[in-house]
Amino acid sequence: MTRVSLSPSRRSESVLNGRLQIAAYAAVCLLIFLVPLGIDDDFLLNRIARYLVLGMVAMALALSWGYAGILNLGQALSFGLGSYCMAMALKLRTVPVHTGSEGLPDFMVWNNVERLPLAWVPFQSMTFAIIAGILVPVLIAALLGWFMFRGRVTGVFVAIITLAALVVGNLLIIDLQSYTGGFNGITDLAQLELFGFEFDAYSASTYYLVATCLTVSLFACLAVTRSKAGLIFQAIRDDERRVRFFGYDVAAFKILAMSVSAAVAGLAGMLYTVVMEFASPTFLDVPLSLSIVIWCAVGGRQSLVGALIGAILIAGMQGALSESEAFLDSWTLVMGVTFVLVVLFLPNGLAGLVTLIRNRLAQSSRRSEGAALRPALAEVSASKTGDKS
Amino acid sequence: MSAVHLQLVDLCVSFNGFRAVNNLNLSVNKGELRCLIGPNGAGKTTALDLICGKTRALSGEIRLGDKNLTTMEDFEIARAGVGRKFQVPSVFRQLSVRENLEVALCRQPGVFANLFRRGRSGDGLEHLAEFVGLADQLDEPAANLSHGQTQWLEIALLLAQDSELILLDEPTAGMTAQETRKTADICNRLKGKHTIIVVEHDMGFVRDIGDVLSVMHQGSLLAEGTADEISANERVREVYLGSMGIHGA
Repeated sequence: MTRVSLSPSRRSESVLNGRLQIAAYAAVCLLIFLVPLGIDDDFLLNRIARYLVLGMVAMALALSWGYAGILNLGQALSFGLGSYCMAMALKLRTVPVHTGSEGLPDFMVWNNVERLPLAWVPFQSMTFAIIAGILVPVLIAALLGWFMFRGRVTGVFVAIITLAALVVGNLLIIDLQSYTGGFNGITDLAQLELFGFEFDAYSASTYYLVATCLTVSLFACLAVTRSKAGLIFQAIRDDERRVRFFGYDVAAFKILAMSVSAAVAGLAGMLYTVVMEFASPTFLDVPLSLSIVIWCAVGGRQSLVGALIGAILIAGMQGALSESEAFLDSWTLVMGVTFVLVVLFLPNGLAGLVTLIRNRLAQSSRRSEGAALRPALAEVSASKTGDKS
Repeated sequence: MSAVHLQLVDLCVSFNGFRAVNNLNLSVNKGELRCLIGPNGAGKTTALDLICGKTRALSGEIRLGDKNLTTMEDFEIARAGVGRKFQVPSVFRQLSVRENLEVALCRQPGVFANLFRRGRSGDGLEHLAEFVGLADQLDEPAANLSHGQTQWLEIALLLAQDSELILLDEPTAGMTAQETRKTADICNRLKGKHTIIVVEHDMGFVRDIGDVLSVMHQGSLLAEGTADEISANERVREVYLGSMGIHGA
């Protein structure tokens, strides 16, 4: 290219792209808020709320995986811990009939626990539970990140270590049956009550709670990606050694990425308990964790909203297919084929499709612009021949 | 005579028993441009690796001003004021030219300081891009740049980083004669404000920019002096300059 000065217009173009991004994110959130207006079926609404929660986890993974390059296969660990924090608080709020003697949760009575375990006591406060539901996953992610990234563990080993951490967490929850309800999880929960407002899982109120949390965390994550730290995340993904030679403590940035991701996943976990009305070890098992990765990959891991939509679509499709008679036996096959097709033809997921179309449009508009500039270009290139390789 | 800025004292490093750098002593004054030359495998790149913390010294000491770099982490060394250009251009390929420069502009390295700062500050980056002739590629991903442009981008990154001590590992590799001249210009302009160490094979380029050359051979310093003194040195001719016909320029 020659030196026809396009930089001012280019600059406004990149600012415009940023505005477009915010507008697109806002549009998606608005759409999510409008859904209950068109749906009168509480069961369907509950199910969509569930998909939104799953979308939140996928979005959280996009932040650490797509931006900072940390493939966290243990994303469900943060999610599950959040959901258990909420379940513990809600369990302690059930009407005494369900909670055995002296307000002890029923499964503890069956396990011959006589006094409320110390770890459960603070969960009598809902405020504590909500803070714990975010802080516990963050602390565990930060600790894990501290060990991995201070030791400069990278790539596939990060995936293996996070996966192993998830399995350990899962086994612990199943094993500590008298404190966690074991395989059965924590069931028979009270409804969440915040500021005197009750959130029935099968009502629009819970849906709006989920939609609000989703919007807030989506924009919080967007703010992170648009900050300088977000830029450094992407630089780390590209070449972390080079980032270090600019003076940045790469490990600290990676720990930050993992912690923010864990905070959102923890919040999503809490909401999941509210929507599903129970917590179970399947919330932090390997299949769910791998599904999150797949949703993220299908939607586009380098786009927060892409991952969100990917999760909603795939999880929704999964639900619809597995219940339709025609695909009763073959729905996993359909899912598998979808995944393979996306990975083969859209390496950047569905969000990559948007970039692809935008580039095509920009190219064709530039071509017409180029035609207008041609005489000027010829002149400049004649005078600048040899100036550049 | 200005003060000594960088000092290497009895530096040793070995890779599986092979002494890549062996009792290297080198001192560079503030604002000086020092060229490091020597045959392949003489330990020039390893010496730069040691200074910037990519490789750990087995023994010896590295001092920058009154700071001891020997045991610092690589990112701490960068903060202490050492910038490095690698032999193989390494830029952030998925980021645009502008974003590359933003990353290099590391005024506050802290995590939280950067969390609450906008990704685009823009101050003076256009100017820098213009300086290396990348003004029209500001929003282009670095992956789309040609090899020469990538080299320029990396030089711009170093300028943005604005380190006291700049290490250049073969900055003219793959450049045309004209580009090499421009690189020499930039080096001459930086001289005085920054202390620079250049590893280079291109003797013409070295003559253009270097005041003092240091010749390395088998991991230690063989000779030091002006270009003419070095060319006249018997030992240097024997181990290095004699083979110039093969290396070419």
